[in-house]
Amino acid sequence: MPWWRSLFLNRSREPELDRELRFHIEEMTEAHIAAGLAPEEARRQAVIEFGGHQQIKEDLRDVHRIAILDRTLANLRAGLRFMRKSPAFAITVILTLALGIGANSAVFSAIDAILLRPLPFPQGDRLMRLAQSNRRVKDPESAVAPVRLEDWNRMNSTFQAIAGYYTEDESESSGALPEKLTRALVTPRFLQVLGVSPALGRDFAPDEERFGGPSAVLISDRFWRRRFGADPNAIGRRLRYAGSPITIVGVMPASFLFPERDVDLWSAVPMDAPYGQSRESTWFRVIGRLKPGITLGQARADLAIVQAHLGREYPKTDADLDVSVQPLKETTVGGVRRSLWMLYGSVSLLLLIACTNIAALLLSRATHRQHEIAIRFSLGASRLEVVAQLLTEALLLAVAGSTLGLMLAKGAAILFRAAGQYVPRVEEIGLDWRLALYTLACAVTATLLCALVPAIRATRGGLAGSLAQASRTQVSARNPLQLLLVGVQVALAVTLLAGAGLLVRSFQALGRVSPGFEASHVLTFHVTGNYGETTDMKGLTQRIQRTLNSLRLVPGVEATATAATLPGVPTQWSAEFKVVETAADPARKIMAESRFVSPGYFETLHIPLLAGEICRETTLNFNIVVNRSFAETYFPRSSIMGRHLQTPNNGFLPPGEVRGIVGDAREMGMNVAPVPTVYWCASAPMPDPFFLVRTHNDPMSMAQTIRRKMHEIDPARSVFEIMPLEEHLDDAFAENRLRTVLLVFFALTAVSLALMGLYGMLSYFVSVRRRETGLRLALGALPGQILRHFLLQGLGVTLLGCLAGLGLAAALTRLLAGMLYGVSPSDGTTLLGVILMVVALAAIASLAPAFRAARVEPMRVLREE
Amino acid sequence: MPAEKSDLLQGTLDMLILKVVALGPIHGYGVSQRIRQISKEVLQVQQGSLYPALHRLEKRGWIEAEWGESEHGRQARFYKLSARGRKQLTAEEMNWRRLAEAVGLILETAR
Repeated sequence: MPWWRSLFLNRSREPELDRELRFHIEEMTEAHIAAGLAPEEARRQAVIEFGGHQQIKEDLRDVHRIAILDRTLANLRAGLRFMRKSPAFAITVILTLALGIGANSAVFSAIDAILLRPLPFPQGDRLMRLAQSNRRVKDPESAVAPVRLEDWNRMNSTFQAIAGYYTEDESESSGALPEKLTRALVTPRFLQVLGVSPALGRDFAPDEERFGGPSAVLISDRFWRRRFGADPNAIGRRLRYAGSPITIVGVMPASFLFPERDVDLWSAVPMDAPYGQSRESTWFRVIGRLKPGITLGQARADLAIVQAHLGREYPKTDADLDVSVQPLKETTVGGVRRSLWMLYGSVSLLLLIACTNIAALLLSRATHRQHEIAIRFSLGASRLEVVAQLLTEALLLAVAGSTLGLMLAKGAAILFRAAGQYVPRVEEIGLDWRLALYTLACAVTATLLCALVPAIRATRGGLAGSLAQASRTQVSARNPLQLLLVGVQVALAVTLLAGAGLLVRSFQALGRVSPGFEASHVLTFHVTGNYGETTDMKGLTQRIQRTLNSLRLVPGVEATATAATLPGVPTQWSAEFKVVETAADPARKIMAESRFVSPGYFETLHIPLLAGEICRETTLNFNIVVNRSFAETYFPRSSIMGRHLQTPNNGFLPPGEVRGIVGDAREMGMNVAPVPTVYWCASAPMPDPFFLVRTHNDPMSMAQTIRRKMHEIDPARSVFEIMPLEEHLDDAFAENRLRTVLLVFFALTAVSLALMGLYGMLSYFVSVRRRETGLRLALGALPGQILRHFLLQGLGVTLLGCLAGLGLAAALTRLLAGMLYGVSPSDGTTLLGVILMVVALAAIASLAPAFRAARVEPMRVLREE
Repeated sequence: MPAEKSDLLQGTLDMLILKVVALGPIHGYGVSQRIRQISKEVLQVQQGSLYPALHRLEKRGWIEAEWGESEHGRQARFYKLSARGRKQLTAEEMNWRRLAEAVGLILETAR
């Protein structure tokens, strides 16, 4: 039996069939016994005579099945006929649904790939992100010391393994020109935690993970193809990275993009290196794989005990530390969750509008088909059969629409990937059976939503009235249901438009913000460097200072600086400070953001000096500059100049002397007001800080000059990620912009659908009331009155829809609260603007049918009777 | 399908069943026995044709089925004629008579 036939089978009938056939055999047995056979022989004979029991049962099943199958096929054929007969109607419905379902499936594909699926690792839900956090410091990048990581791995009982990694960008110089490659430095157990093996070659051998052991590197699939043309003999070849030779031992699978999309190399960090034994190092981002069956709570409790133990053993470095454990997926995708669900909500509203639109279309269609339906009733069809036929027709349209929609969603996946490179996991979005299934489910839901009510209404009158009453003798068709459907569409469209309006206005507000620094004409880039250089901080600082000074002399350059982070790009590094000269006041904690910048930073970014002087970088002690908020918040009366600030419990940062006060700048992002900030004067807080160069002209026009100059200064290093600071600021809002653009698109689509619905309804009213209109005109009504009548009908339903939409918007825009800047969710201007726009467009949409009504020629209409 | 073998009966089996069922509520086994007895063992209805035919007729609403007790005290499915079935039977009987008459005329003349 083909599998689909079982769809039409009613299993509850089975026992009854069996019983009936068994009775027959028993009666035959009885007859044989009466004829003189022994009971057993009688039964044997009966069974033989009865023949193929199973075959008969199957035939009986066919009897019941085929009727349903036949009817379904007949309905499908009728549906196709119907589509051929009115192609314009069918195309309108299909396109509307394609848009509604396509948008919905597109967003669902993103939600499915990003939020719903586990990370692309075996048992990805058991992967956790671990971090250490100091109770006194708010630091998102809580990197972990190698020794502590090994302690956690050894002492815990809930993880299979814990491993760490960090990345750096260095030059690879075995080719003709140095090329910047991103390398992830990983601890032992790294691939074991992720559950991934090299596609080619092998993982690191134990002696390659020891200090002084042979060097080994795993390369990415991308790099393997680019550099070696996917040659399997690449294994064993040597690269020259950061000046030292390393041997390729393996190639990772193409799907392996951890920890970052553009990692080219992975190499092992020796955990027993003598320079890595300090408990105050901040090296590793940490991941771990839970043992099977262990909950998040158990893991957290376990690591809290481990860390408490370490706190007692090493009170100086470990007492203040907590361990945070978060699912790795959550830390990867948590940031986009709200945006995605918000978008999903809006496309669901859009789909609802599309369905309402189609329901109204089907409703007016059904009135035209009343005659046909009446004939079917008179030929003996039951109401269920007629409803089934109408639903099948709608389903056919919905399936066609959703197939188109699926293609739309596939196109959108490409768009997501192109536009959303700042969204995690976009490379995993694509067309698959889950999406196809979801789209099909959408089609079925849409059918029920669109077609059920019209179908039930169309068949309600039954046979009695409809055959007698031909539609041309109808005088007036006031249809409150159709008005309601249009009103609902307007209300939903207003809701979406209000949300979109708020996002746009908040974007405008962001654009008007004065950030306190001047981002235009600043070029940013990196120069390759590696953490090995940090063993000689003096040399590293001198190298970077030398570079800065040389670049400063290039014609067209106004100022140069380095910084660990970029201004206006969200980063948080807040810590508690103490003033060395005065006793700490426990009631007044000094909390401030820390930024590490070279002295030229303020000149480069045009941050004004308000008091004192710009810091100098000396080898003797640290210089500090604070911003105005810091001075005014913590030292409103006394002067802070010349005092020393210190972050407690930080062995790496000696106290710094405050040399000046500068203006407030929006360091933490354009949407965050300036907070108290401490600038530490250090050109080389890390081996590859951001270089910032202020130029006279368009910054990108200097890119080549700077590349050439850098090659002159330090030919072994490569320059990468050259781009204007403004582009970084834009990128920081890439996700924000993407969701705004999408919501605006959905809202405009929704409004167009609602207006089409309004136009369709009025046109329909005008056409069925042609006779009545003609009569009124014949009795002396003025065309203007007719025009006003229909126009007001359109505007009335629009206004009611707007009111309902405002109520809905008030409830829903609160969900946007965290995404808005400088505009409240109930912003009057936005809402008023939305209403005015919708009403104006509704007036335009109503005018055409109203004019048509006013131009009816009474004599012609009356003669048609 | 076994139904194919009794091609001769295909058109008329439904009518025969309707006729037998018209005599009073009767189960499937009874229908096959009755047809055999009345036709003096000329017509033997295979179970493979009988039951699908019974269910088809029931589905069309010409006969109705109900569980009841057989003469031996067993549970059996009894069929009886519905009002629509009675109309159908009359129509088919008339049809059959006309057809038989026509066939008979041709055979007479051709002799």
